Amino acid sequence: MIRLENLHVRVGTFDLREITLEVPTGGYALIIGPTGSGKTTLLEAVAGHARLRAGRVFMHDDDVTHLPPERRRLGFVYQQYHLFPHLSVRDNIGYGLGRGRGRRDAADPEARVAELADMLAISPLLDRPIRGLSGGEQQRVALARALAPRPSILLLDEPFAAVDPATRQVLRRELRELHEREGITTLQVTHDFDEALRLGDLVAVLAEGRIAQSGSPEQVFRYPNSAFVARFVGTGNVIAGVVERTDPGNGTGSFRGTFRGGSLVLEVVAEREGPTHAVIRPEDIVLSLGHSPGSARNHMDGRVVRLERTGPVTLVHLDVGRALIASLTTQSVEEMELKPGRSVMVAFKATAILLV
Amino acid sequence: MPVRSLMSRVVLAALGACLVLFIVGPLLRLLFFASPASLGAALRDTELRDSIVLTVFTASLATFIAALLGVPLAYLLARRNFPGRRLVQGLIELPVVVPHPVAGIALLLFLGRRSEVGGALAHLGLEFVSHVPGIVAAMLFVSAPILVSGAREAFRGVDPQLERVARTLGDTGWGAFRRVTLPIAGRGVLAGSLLAWSRSVSEFGSIVILTYNPKVASIYIFDRFTAYGLQAAVPAAVILLLVALTVLVVVRVLQPEERR
Repeated sequence: MIRLENLHVRVGTFDLREITLEVPTGGYALIIGPTGSGKTTLLEAVAGHARLRAGRVFMHDDDVTHLPPERRRLGFVYQQYHLFPHLSVRDNIGYGLGRGRGRRDAADPEARVAELADMLAISPLLDRPIRGLSGGEQQRVALARALAPRPSILLLDEPFAAVDPATRQVLRRELRELHEREGITTLQVTHDFDEALRLGDLVAVLAEGRIAQSGSPEQVFRYPNSAFVARFVGTGNVIAGVVERTDPGNGTGSFRGTFRGGSLVLEVVAEREGPTHAVIRPEDIVLSLGHSPGSARNHMDGRVVRLERTGPVTLVHLDVGRALIASLTTQSVEEMELKPGRSVMVAFKATAILLV
Repeated sequence: MPVRSLMSRVVLAALGACLVLFIVGPLLRLLFFASPASLGAALRDTELRDSIVLTVFTASLATFIAALLGVPLAYLLARRNFPGRRLVQGLIELPVVVPHPVAGIALLLFLGRRSEVGGALAHLGLEFVSHVPGIVAAMLFVSAPILVSGAREAFRGVDPQLERVARTLGDTGWGAFRRVTLPIAGRGVLAGSLLAWSRSVSEFGSIVILTYNPKVASIYIFDRFTAYGLQAAVPAAVILLLVALTVLVVVRVLQPEERR
């Protein structure tokens, strides 16, 4: 288990603050955020490399805030791998298994190295120098080196950033399997939400040094709590506008209202008035042929601008006075004979509009 | 265009060749000026032998002290950003720009019996002026900057993240330095030490002021030249040149490829 309580780290003029996060034992959490949001700094703080200005770090209920990195029993895989250039692959993997250095698993370092090399399919490389290894091979060696001392916690900094997409797929799957087999509590940093959806039990979106939102990947994706998160995780259409109340409401907080964003006027269920963002997922937009019945709310006329096929799903780029993206099955796009320039009726339910 | 570029290449090569010949020419002339017989005779001369032994001993001691004090400093300069870092860096390179007789006079004033420091050390039995420690002090003064800058560059060439990785793998800060940074930077540090050592061996200007006797090799050669003339100085000069060339070859082998 990793528990971060209200961490505050300053690096130069950059502040990482109010970081509170708990990863349960055996869990797989992802920190996602754009470049410069403080992801790597956060991992360094967990590892004990960055000095905390405030806050506490717990691992398995032990307060490790003041422990040096070497006593935190964690594995750290860096984005650039940072393999030891003066050692062979074998000695890199076995580095943390040093004889009689008070580290656990001093039992049989060679067997452990062989086991990991086997698991990661790098046995033939064991006696090679680091120079000349491919990116994917280096990645596996770095992973094996981090896992060798059987850490209870694994920290991964953009582990797939430097490998080609095909290798990335394979490594992702292997990593997930390894995680399940070794039961290591894992905290990974990525800028790729897709990775979070595939790997994580928990995601935290980092923006400018703070956690903007955390929860299950599904929850964060479907219910982003801000325009930033919605844009970053690719929830879909994010429209800036203003909410006006149209009925007094029932006293529970939510009320019917009108959202105006440029030329777009939507009927919404809102909880507060004023400036806000409407998030509309592409799959919640319904397209049909013909014209909208003028009076109906959340119906409007639009025009197809472009079709973007991504396998069984096609993204339909629309112009309704502003740009919108709808997601339809490729089959229904074909049945409706949608093509650029075609007029369509665009509709969505008031409850499908998320105000953040 | 090809003609012009060929022309310019010829001009550049000719200019460079002039300089290389100017350096190699005199040294080759010196090497072949001495007959093998005179070299053999010079090596049998106990005074020359003693001066070479003394030179090697004092230069090694000066290099050892420079390494002991300078390698940690080089590491700090390469890795840590502390207030006054640039000032320290500038100060440590000061001996490079100070003319060597000036350095000798400064050391004489500082370590002579009449200064507080020199007097106190003399009280403890450590005499510098006209004693072996004076040679070591002069050598240390002129060679330390070379060792520090060589070691500093070697440490700069090692990715600091590697130490962090080593720490997450269970090493203490010292362990990570010993098992990662030092082995990787080791060749560069050693090359810097050898350059400092040969700088010590070649030192003359400050030693001549601080400790004329006992004579190190450079002073012995100067002494032979002034007392007996050119022929008498050449064999010793050749032997010293051969020592310097050997060191240069070793340094080249030790240095990482990209800096050769």
